[in-house]
Amino acid sequence: MSIQPHETFPDLVALDHAGRSRSLSELAGGDPLVLTTFRGFWCPKEQAFMRRLVAFQDEVEVAYSSVVSMSVDPPEVTAAFRAGLGARWTFLADPERAHLDALDLREHTDTVHHPYRPAVFVLTPDLVVHSAYNGYWYWGRPGLDELRVDLREVTRSIRSDWEVPR
Amino acid sequence: MNERCWLALVDAAPPSADAAAALRTPDGDPAGWLAVWLQASKPVRAARRADPRIVDPNGVAAAVSLVLPGRDALPIFDDTAVQGARRAVLADAEPADLVTTLLIDASHFAGSLTARRGPNALARLRDDPFRHVSLATLLIVDGGLLGTVAPPPGPVIERHGSDVPWPGGRFPAI
Repeated sequence: MSIQPHETFPDLVALDHAGRSRSLSELAGGDPLVLTTFRGFWCPKEQAFMRRLVAFQDEVEVAYSSVVSMSVDPPEVTAAFRAGLGARWTFLADPERAHLDALDLREHTDTVHHPYRPAVFVLTPDLVVHSAYNGYWYWGRPGLDELRVDLREVTRSIRSDWEVPR
Repeated sequence: MNERCWLALVDAAPPSADAAAALRTPDGDPAGWLAVWLQASKPVRAARRADPRIVDPNGVAAAVSLVLPGRDALPIFDDTAVQGARRAVLADAEPADLVTTLLIDASHFAGSLTARRGPNALARLRDDPFRHVSLATLLIVDGGLLGTVAPPPGPVIERHGSDVPWPGGRFPAI
């Protein structure tokens, strides 16, 4: 995977699940950001991982962190996938595969769908990569405890009142 | 004190307001004015604080759902019904053109304003999640007041400080 920790992730712009143009920096909104790329709604591995993230959102929703998931599915498909999962974070759609090669995330072994290779990036609000996970093999993806540790470390680094003010 | 966005339903356009637009019922009957002030201090007794991003003097007319619980019946912002409404806003596959909660203090939910445009705007506003918290009134607001605000990224339902109307605001960078 070419994007590594300490590098700055490109502030890409893509359509969200409702068809609105969104940038990563706007979606981070000053908070830590978990960015996942996934093959598509049809992949059982993605369905399994997304169900884990859906469970995780009950913590993230009170922890001032954003989640964004991106695939090559068009907005209407990704909206249906999102709704079926019960996800409450933003899904981005790149059906034109505009960012696939620039991010070096094309899954070359799938010559049918030409999807994103599964990956997870934990980013600071200014899109510096804190950690990067290659999810080509399912066990390469972070568990929720690993995401908790990453988000704790990023949050500690960006919140001036991490040590309780006295 | 930093500048704040105050919103109030009033009988006539206040000269002191930074922006105001006439309101009509869905049947076309006059229903007063919606006015906003961008200032530190509260401009009129009925004013409640909103996300300042909603204001756009160039914004076009919109249908709105206005939830204004009485001051003697305000639930706390952490009330599970208010939490549930915020989750429902985030889950919506067709986000509204703008959503702001309203505040009068750091603890209570003092209402919400949701705007939509397009042919199904009124029908979609009948599903305003905040209607489960308190009575929602559907109105049409003229142009010159409300813009469009990108939907919150999700899944955060908490305010970025108790002083900030959800979903706006962010913590200061260090």
